[in-house]
Amino acid sequence: MAIWPEERTAAAGDLDTVDMTVNVGPQHPATHGVFRMVLTVDGERVVGCEPYIGYLHRGLEKLTENADYRQAMGWWDRTDYLAGMCCEGAYVMAVERLAGIEAPERAEYIRALMMELSRINSHFMFLGAFGADVGSFGTSFTYAWRERERIYDLFEEVAGDRMFPTYFRIGGVTMDLPANFERRCREVLASIRQGLEDLDGLLTGNEVFVERCRGLTPVTPEWAIARGVTGPMLRATGLAWDIRKAEPYGVYPKLDFDIPTGRQGDVFDRFHVRLAECYQSARMVEQCLEAMPGGRVLAPKLPKTLRINEGELYFPTEGTKGEYGVYLMARGGTQPYRAKLRSPSFCNLSALRELVVGTYVADAIVILGSLDIVLGEVDK
Amino acid sequence: MSAASEVPAIAALVRERLPEVPFTASETKTYADLRVAPARLLELMTGLRDDPDLAFDLLRNVVALDMEEEGLAARYQLYSFRHSHALQVSVAAPLAAPVLPTLTGLWPTADWHEREAAEMVGLVFSGHPDPRNLLLEEDLRIHPLRKAHPLQQAEILQGIEDGPPGVDR
Repeated sequence: MAIWPEERTAAAGDLDTVDMTVNVGPQHPATHGVFRMVLTVDGERVVGCEPYIGYLHRGLEKLTENADYRQAMGWWDRTDYLAGMCCEGAYVMAVERLAGIEAPERAEYIRALMMELSRINSHFMFLGAFGADVGSFGTSFTYAWRERERIYDLFEEVAGDRMFPTYFRIGGVTMDLPANFERRCREVLASIRQGLEDLDGLLTGNEVFVERCRGLTPVTPEWAIARGVTGPMLRATGLAWDIRKAEPYGVYPKLDFDIPTGRQGDVFDRFHVRLAECYQSARMVEQCLEAMPGGRVLAPKLPKTLRINEGELYFPTEGTKGEYGVYLMARGGTQPYRAKLRSPSFCNLSALRELVVGTYVADAIVILGSLDIVLGEVDK
Repeated sequence: MSAASEVPAIAALVRERLPEVPFTASETKTYADLRVAPARLLELMTGLRDDPDLAFDLLRNVVALDMEEEGLAARYQLYSFRHSHALQVSVAAPLAAPVLPTLTGLWPTADWHEREAAEMVGLVFSGHPDPRNLLLEEDLRIHPLRKAHPLQQAEILQGIEDGPPGVDR
């Protein structure tokens, strides 16, 4: 697909130019982690892009296959490390479905609440870092970090850890919420909403920012689907597809929320969909607080050692970056025979080359930022 | 897997729309599963994508499996945006010649999935446009997700090039 229709060949009589190779990463602030891309540039124009991944490959799948179903959970936190709760949720619910375990309703509400807070947390990371990519330097980053800190504080109060809480359990969650949780959570939500207003004003209200993002690499839903692009990037093209609605899990069918979409799938729409999703997540957190029943948070009579007989499943969830799917195969015993992560960042990143070629070098950084990859998830 | 007592609805629909492709249907914990021979994989997948009543336009995921004595295998998870239905296609490949046709011609997203499956488990995707390692070092010819591959081992991994691709040392 020709995203940039102009011909790059110089008209006869113009000066000849020589293509130059520019290595970006793996240690580079614009790559948001250990990602490397080799750009071939003709002047300011990118004519080739070769992504290299795997610097953060830790063997998640092999480790899971060699650990007890419960022990393995800690590894899954560390895939999308900006939203540990979402990853835990996907893995735990996949194992529960495979083993036929049901979590108590209160636990399901707590999970949805935590997953939505995690989603806000991850999107704040995007909003801050993306602002920095486009050129607002530290301001957007600091605004975003202020709110992320409050969410992490809340996680610490609930689970005892910030980034990798390992709070979920197969059959529920580790422990009940602290006594003052509802008050604290509402405080944090009010602060989040203010933070979103601030960021919206700082970025969307900035003409330079909008001019740089608007109309950059617009894509169609068909283009995105063929390349496995899901999540906010797909919704930015105008397709209202969210696994929380399309193939719901947990308590999501009981929650009322909208699916924000864009119009033309350009960089600005990708940014704006994520911003709008934060408000929806905040709505869901409030609904969870109100609707949460009392009772247990861990299913009774769970086996001491979890053994699962023959069975396999693919369990998709709406991760923060797109479809975060867990494939598990059991063939008896206490360990999964095969575990596979369908990583949304991995699939979204595979479309990078087509997006970047034809744009300017400075735009390549913005486009990479708009994909919102997290390398722990790309490399597994 | 035990044979399903009744054929899932989506499998019956596939059988009706694509009567010429033989497959056996069963059910996983989430989706229906169609087991097909490697030689008919491309035909089935083309039908699944192009038939208007099936219209599986998203290749969600590719899983490569080492089934030990049963050889290698792959699982493909598909989703249709038009009809909001999903299924899984499974295929087995003998260890001696674990060759499957590439699906990059049908879904461009298969590119990276297949590169990962090739390096991690050792499946060979014939016709793949770019069969290099993706996550592993470029010149490694090991397949870490084979069951025979140790979890931990002191090894010097760089520059292992002997042996054709797809064969674990």
